[in-house]
Amino acid sequence: MTGLAATMVRAGRRLLSSLPALFGVLVFTFLLMRVLPGDPAVFFASGPNAGKEEIEQIRKQMGLDKSVPEQLVFYLSDIGRGNLGRSMMTGQPVLKDLRERLPASLELTFTALLIALIAAVPLGVVAALRPGSIVDHGVRLFCALGVCVPTFVSGLLLIYVFYYLLGLAPDPTGRIDVFTSQPPQRTGFLSIDFLLVGDVEGWWAACKQLILPAVSMALFVIAPLARITRASMLVSLGSDFVRTARSVGLSWRKVVVTYALRNAILPVITIAGIVFSTMLGANVLVEKVFSWPGVASYALDALLSSDYAPVQGFVLLMASVFVLVNLLVDICYGIADPRVSIG
Amino acid sequence: MRFVSVRPATHVLATIALLVASAPSQAQTRAETLRYVTGSSVNTLDPNIPGSTRESFALSMSTYDRLVAFGRKQLNGKWVFDLDKITGELAESYDVSPDGLKLTFRLRKDAKFQDGSPVTAEDVKWSLDRCVTAPILGKAQLLTGSLTSADQFKVIDPLTIEVTLPKPDKLALPNLATVYPMIINSKVAKEHATADDPWATAWLKEHTAGSGAYVIETFKPGEQVIIKRSEDWNRGSPGKPAFFKRVIVQSVPEPATRANLVERGDADIVVDLQASDVQSLEAKGKLKVISTPQYNSITFVSMNNQIPPFDNVNVRRAVAFALPYDDMFKAALFGRGAPLFGATWPDGKPLDGIYPFQAPVKIDLEKAREYLKAAGLPEGFSTTFSFNVGQSSTAEPMAALIKESLGKIGIKVDIQKLPDAQMSTQINEKKLPFFTEGIVAWLPSTDYFYRNFYTGNQRWNYSSINNPELAAIAQEARFEPDKAKYEEDGRKLNAIHFSEMPQIPLWQPNQDAVMASSVEGYTYEFHRQVDYRDVSRK
Repeated sequence: MTGLAATMVRAGRRLLSSLPALFGVLVFTFLLMRVLPGDPAVFFASGPNAGKEEIEQIRKQMGLDKSVPEQLVFYLSDIGRGNLGRSMMTGQPVLKDLRERLPASLELTFTALLIALIAAVPLGVVAALRPGSIVDHGVRLFCALGVCVPTFVSGLLLIYVFYYLLGLAPDPTGRIDVFTSQPPQRTGFLSIDFLLVGDVEGWWAACKQLILPAVSMALFVIAPLARITRASMLVSLGSDFVRTARSVGLSWRKVVVTYALRNAILPVITIAGIVFSTMLGANVLVEKVFSWPGVASYALDALLSSDYAPVQGFVLLMASVFVLVNLLVDICYGIADPRVSIG
Repeated sequence: MRFVSVRPATHVLATIALLVASAPSQAQTRAETLRYVTGSSVNTLDPNIPGSTRESFALSMSTYDRLVAFGRKQLNGKWVFDLDKITGELAESYDVSPDGLKLTFRLRKDAKFQDGSPVTAEDVKWSLDRCVTAPILGKAQLLTGSLTSADQFKVIDPLTIEVTLPKPDKLALPNLATVYPMIINSKVAKEHATADDPWATAWLKEHTAGSGAYVIETFKPGEQVIIKRSEDWNRGSPGKPAFFKRVIVQSVPEPATRANLVERGDADIVVDLQASDVQSLEAKGKLKVISTPQYNSITFVSMNNQIPPFDNVNVRRAVAFALPYDDMFKAALFGRGAPLFGATWPDGKPLDGIYPFQAPVKIDLEKAREYLKAAGLPEGFSTTFSFNVGQSSTAEPMAALIKESLGKIGIKVDIQKLPDAQMSTQINEKKLPFFTEGIVAWLPSTDYFYRNFYTGNQRWNYSSINNPELAAIAQEARFEPDKAKYEEDGRKLNAIHFSEMPQIPLWQPNQDAVMASSVEGYTYEFHRQVDYRDVSRK
């Protein structure tokens, strides 16, 4: 119990120490957006008759008529009150947009990571058990293919085969079939919300929508995960304690899974953490191809139209997620290897 | 092993059986539902909000009524909107006084807002007042029809409203049929008005209070909008509501996915596919493809007439005779559009007074070299050619061809691809020397095009041309009641355009509407989107 409390205290301290970094990200993004060429007011005033007056009006509405330091002060005080501004693009408060879209991205990324881990860890272990064998080469080839094919290509390919040709997958338009009604929103994760109301049919519909995008994302990250598993398994299989375990005649399962894999899993967790944060922000293409209403495509659209508030909100969100994921990874370390403690 | 592999197969079979079993009950509602997919999205329920998208314009046509609406006509066998035939929508009938200064509208007695209250002249006045007074997009639009002040709208009795004009402006009536002057339920809107926001713009952005054919069911900005039919609405065909019970407007950013959806029959209609996809879908022959040249829109290669060397008319002429028109037309549009090049003018004069016109330009490098020599630049010069990322599927091949062709007469071109916001900023600041852009006019009359796109130091004057004669004729033509004189003015303007060559109109791209073969009644509308009230299923 005291161990858990101590962990929580340390985690809290870690969280506090990341605040200056978050603040830096905030200010940096703010300035970066203003430095980028392109005047959002001109872009948004592009109706067939929008003239100078309209541009001025939008500028005022976005607060761009004030000086940059003034804007920064307003922005920071807004953030302090939990207001991330309003998106010109969707016309909604950024906080509301992000709150609606983050679960979509998280659900997709978690599923993709899960699929990737389930595929990558056994692949890496198998490859490490027989290095140089045909199995090892097979795994290497598979990984290389996964990395070579960009996610939007594999996404379009999967759509072509499973939706267009075979008709097995539902149409690739978002999280749920337009004709199915949404479950009451509790967690924002459709697969959980449907189960909470006991709607199995809806749950299955949501899962079907999730499979293709998750697989095309997973394909891309299987390679780093499998490679790191293999490398670290090789080290651990060659170490003294495994030799000892083998020599005393422990079962194959006990040697490989309990001793070798448990010791080899630390770097895999680290990489998984990094992969997760990258995937969350970088899966724009998958989100675009599958019309997935996630945060990454939202940020890209905002960036193209110089819509400041959503981009700033997105970067802040990503920074926070990164901090949290790192913390989580550290806690996982402690579970995997009791000698490691966060501090 | 064999046993294991059988299980997923039975599972798939069971799923298929389930789907087939549930199909009939779904099919019933599916046939009465229109699923429209688009790369853009609806971002506000009031099209007047600055920054609103074209999809928002289209949606508002179905959720709100206007006083009047455009009729439709057949153009080369395809239905398009008819600027010259204006029919009543909320107005049962209207009169234009003989001097053209008074428009009187009598409202339909049976017209009701979606909350059940009757549509009165008070509501019409409030809505039109809002359009010309509030800081919204309608203001600049109605200005083009001499509608500028709330004093011009007068309630005569609960069902009659009178609009007075300072001059007999031909565009006043058509302006009232455009997207912005929609009629709002003023009682409801006033309840949500605040001291800062007397015209309830904030509330109307997310709610509707209209008398239109459809009611909003769900609105998720950036994702989808679902609207359901209002059963009382009868402004289309007498005594009948709109055909589809529900319409789903869904954003699907990837064009290839949109093509797949409509080909497999999951989506019913789409208007923004890539030209290559349209061509292959048309070749397969399973779907209905209606291609209409967007006769109110034009794609240009534009030159800034104030920046050297493009301030020299001979340089502009040289460029006009050095563009590989046919190759560009094929590479960028797959030939899907109406060309504005390659005409023959027997006596060297414009064939008619309509803008846009097909100009007698074609690639002729000898002539181009002569013009360059006349401009004092026989060796050529260097410049940049810009286009925005949003247009890259058509502009990229165009730019490469232009670079190659101009290279032959010594003009060295650097291609510059700009993010959309950056491109509009630079155009607004008049910093780009040489670029491609497109324009659209909702009310495509010759004087309107010339006044808005060829005069004044403003953003839409892409070429920054400053020609007093052109400006004067265009201004005069605006209020010219005599058709023959108007035509003569148009000819003069077109002649000036050709001789000055401020920018080079290339073509009018097609609007390719691809739809399920069961969908009927599609009409090309002035806002270039689908009007959901037009379509039905056979």
